[in-house]
Amino acid sequence: MVNVLDIKVLRDLWAMRTQVLSIALLIAAGLAVLVMSVSNYLALVGAMDAHYRTERFGDVFASLKRAPNSLVERIREIDGIGVVEARVTQMVRVIRADTELPISGRIISVPPSSQPALNRLHLVEGRWIDPARRDEIIINAAFAHARMIRPGDAIEVILNGRLQVFRVAGTALSPEFVFATRSALPLPDDRNFVVLWASEDAVAGAFDMQGAFNDLVITLGPGAAKAAVIEELDRLLIPYGGIGAHDRRELPSNRLLEDELAEQETLSIVMPTVFFGIAAFLLHVVLGRLIEAQREQIASLKALGLSNLPIALHYFKFVTVIALIGAGIGLALGAWFAVLVIDSYRAFFRFPALEAHLAPWIVALAVLASLLVANAAAATAVYRVARLPPAEGMRPQVPAVTPLAQHIGVMSERGIPMSYLMALRTIVGRPVRTLLTISGIALAVPLVLFGLFWFDAIAHMIDVAFGRIERGDAFVTFVTPVPARALHELRSVPGVLLVEGQRIVPARLVAGHRSYRTSLVGLSSQSELKVLRDAALASVAVPDDGLMLSRPLAEHLGLQIGDIITVEVQEAKRPVFHLCLVKISDDILGVSATMDIAALNRMMREDDAFNAASLKLDESQSRIVWQRIQAMPKIEASSVKALWLALFDETIAGMIIVGALVLAGFGLLIAIGVVYNSARVALQERAWELASLRILGFTRREVATILLSELVFELIVAIPIGLTAGYALIKFIVSLRVRESFQVPVVIEPRSYAMAALVVIAAAAASAFVVRRRIDNLDLVAVLKTRD
Amino acid sequence: MTLGEDTSQPRALAGDHPVFIARGLSKVYGSGDACVYALRDVDLEIRQGEFLVLLGPSGSGKSTLLNILGGLDAPTSGSATWRDHELTGASDADLTAYRREHVGFVFQFYNLIPNLTVRENVRLVAQIASDPMCPEEALELVGLSHRLDYFPSQLSGGEQQRVAVARAIVKRPDILLCDEPTGALDADTGRLVLGAISKVNAELGTTTVVITHNSAIAGMANRILRLSGGRIAREELNRTPLRAEDVTW
Repeated sequence: MVNVLDIKVLRDLWAMRTQVLSIALLIAAGLAVLVMSVSNYLALVGAMDAHYRTERFGDVFASLKRAPNSLVERIREIDGIGVVEARVTQMVRVIRADTELPISGRIISVPPSSQPALNRLHLVEGRWIDPARRDEIIINAAFAHARMIRPGDAIEVILNGRLQVFRVAGTALSPEFVFATRSALPLPDDRNFVVLWASEDAVAGAFDMQGAFNDLVITLGPGAAKAAVIEELDRLLIPYGGIGAHDRRELPSNRLLEDELAEQETLSIVMPTVFFGIAAFLLHVVLGRLIEAQREQIASLKALGLSNLPIALHYFKFVTVIALIGAGIGLALGAWFAVLVIDSYRAFFRFPALEAHLAPWIVALAVLASLLVANAAAATAVYRVARLPPAEGMRPQVPAVTPLAQHIGVMSERGIPMSYLMALRTIVGRPVRTLLTISGIALAVPLVLFGLFWFDAIAHMIDVAFGRIERGDAFVTFVTPVPARALHELRSVPGVLLVEGQRIVPARLVAGHRSYRTSLVGLSSQSELKVLRDAALASVAVPDDGLMLSRPLAEHLGLQIGDIITVEVQEAKRPVFHLCLVKISDDILGVSATMDIAALNRMMREDDAFNAASLKLDESQSRIVWQRIQAMPKIEASSVKALWLALFDETIAGMIIVGALVLAGFGLLIAIGVVYNSARVALQERAWELASLRILGFTRREVATILLSELVFELIVAIPIGLTAGYALIKFIVSLRVRESFQVPVVIEPRSYAMAALVVIAAAAASAFVVRRRIDNLDLVAVLKTRD
Repeated sequence: MTLGEDTSQPRALAGDHPVFIARGLSKVYGSGDACVYALRDVDLEIRQGEFLVLLGPSGSGKSTLLNILGGLDAPTSGSATWRDHELTGASDADLTAYRREHVGFVFQFYNLIPNLTVRENVRLVAQIASDPMCPEEALELVGLSHRLDYFPSQLSGGEQQRVAVARAIVKRPDILLCDEPTGALDADTGRLVLGAISKVNAELGTTTVVITHNSAIAGMANRILRLSGGRIAREELNRTPLRAEDVTW
């Protein structure tokens, strides 16, 4: 026989279906974020591991000027070395008819007849190069996709100043270029950067490297001491122009990937925990109120002789159903959003397989978490109600007559409308509940704000990085350092308004046992096109002497102003300097090491040498500018700010916007869940009172005002608290995003605050609208009959 | 007192003009075989200033009649008119305005707002009325001047019901509708409440309708309508109404 209380569970669920659904959505929103974050993180890690393992990604990398192939045998003898792959690689330029803009690339030699032993390629389209043909080439799939290049198409490459036409045999993905980027900027530049793999003969021939190599990929044997291997490698390679071996961590693609994953790991734990924690708290508040509103029923059941246990079980069943509905929706939403977000990642992370995957343990965890949270909320609420003596429980709950409540009466003498007075009395009469409801509404605000914040942070970063720091329109790098007259040559190109040279030197910064490999930038103190900025965006002058480091780098190296730092230049003759740290800058672009260009030139024993330049262009003539620059053999690579910005919009912005919208959406759901339930329970508790007022001649609007002014008061208090809490939460989460590539600024525009507040107000308005309709349909006659 | 005197025609006792006229009022719940008649073809006139008691057991139709009278319910058929206001078919807004301007309600369970003081409960209604009396005055009329700043939970049941009476009359209603006003009270307390109601009727001339199943209360009325099975079974006139303190049950 069906338990009668079970029938009550079903009837209660049906009678309160809108509330049940909104609470389920609250759980769903919390869970969806959890499911999405965790499964996306696992998908990324899984894809990276699989790609690295399958394609045998190297552990240690080394670049050098030129060494004979015979050296490879000696390298293999180093203790701890596994597999060694020697190759030739160089920067090249690619000419495309579909753009006048510069395309730079890296060409890498591969064995003509087979995959390399390490850093193998995952062929996406086409086939491996034909050993019999020196003009076949494989290109990275991202570039092929961006430029719509198919196997069989021709591609013009300038190798070592000579134009050569290659035929594309296939397109491929490489573990070395998950992010295909040549600079330290955390962006893949699929349209203007290409990786080309050609046969050893072709590459070595083009660069006069027959029988020689200039790049090594190495795996370590089991139990190998990486540091010792690197040291021994360096010792062997220095005579051949080695610029320091390093582990895979320092490869730009891998560094970005690891940074991103480390951040995702933090975020996939912290953010959903915060999110779910808030949802859990709100669930507690909402379910607590819902159950307390049934206190008369609970007391009646007790009076009829039921013990606390079956009553508690009854409510556990009630909330379990809600939790399961919520878990079901949450899993479905989470899985769906995981797919959406993973899709947006694909433009960013180039893996052979990147699929959203909902692991069974995540499903189990999600269901368990929602059941636990819901039942804990029910348990405390039932306990609160069930410990009341039945007689007390059956009496309607009357707000306590506190001195404060008495005092509020004075206000009514001063003409405060009675509806506000009633609201105020209810608020102060039940301070704990009021506090919980206000916290509930307040906590919905940060969730929305957290979603919106990313838009501001991105806009700010773009403004700072590309509007205030890098003020040039384009940036070029030279194959080798050039004298000042090369800059004059650039300046003389029609359409070039201003040229400022920089000297960028790859270097290893060493402080005690800590070291960091980066680029040391020599900058003129009069530089206008690159202006360093502090946190307040005031310009920071390049010190005349000594070194300036960005704060994360100084902290990484454990340095303070006045400390001496060793700079091991990884270029040319590899000089070693000792410099004094004279300034620490707070720029947002992460890691930077800067010094005066004249001082750097002096140390490098160069006369006014530059290997990079910022350009200010006349936009209307940029086509001519680029045609001229394409023809300059000394220019290795160039980048255009407008392209970077477009790229940024397409990749990172797209990725973040999807995430932000998802978060803001969930924040909205939570806001609705809290506000609606709060208003709904208030109506349930006071329906009798309000119907009485309707009978006394109050209009629907007046009665609604009485009930909703409570909500308005709660909103007025909650929203500023919520906005403040939002700022604190964002600051906290951002503090966990410490990464080398760039720092996310805690910048929240007033309009985002306004929007977050509006979203919650809109949720409140929608809830109020629904409640208002219920007020309109109050059963007036019923009020005359019973107290219930 | 001449209870039980039959009259074939309703007579004006307090005033000449009927303020409320009902013709052929019926109220049916449900349909077909399952339908239940709450009111059957009731004709009724209520005259200015009279004290009318609707008497009858549960299910006799008295509450339904009061609900229609108060603009809370619509009849299934027939017409109900308050002065020149047609109540049947009126919109919710019109009915609300009717209650607001003309009707004072006293409920069986007082229905006071728990988080407003006595004075504030009365002022609440005074604030929506066009020509209210002073809340303190209304409370003095029901003998509660000494409880102005008490909250309902600090009052006895009888005191709460007298607050409800004060709240009902503060707007100077044309008609006071009392639904079992002593139903939740003991006899002594009930008499105090009835005293307040009859004082309002006598001093302010407010037309008063009390529904009750307590026939003792009928002794206070100018006129008694006994309802049974949804019809007015009997109408009685009372030329010598009792004072509230003399009513016993």
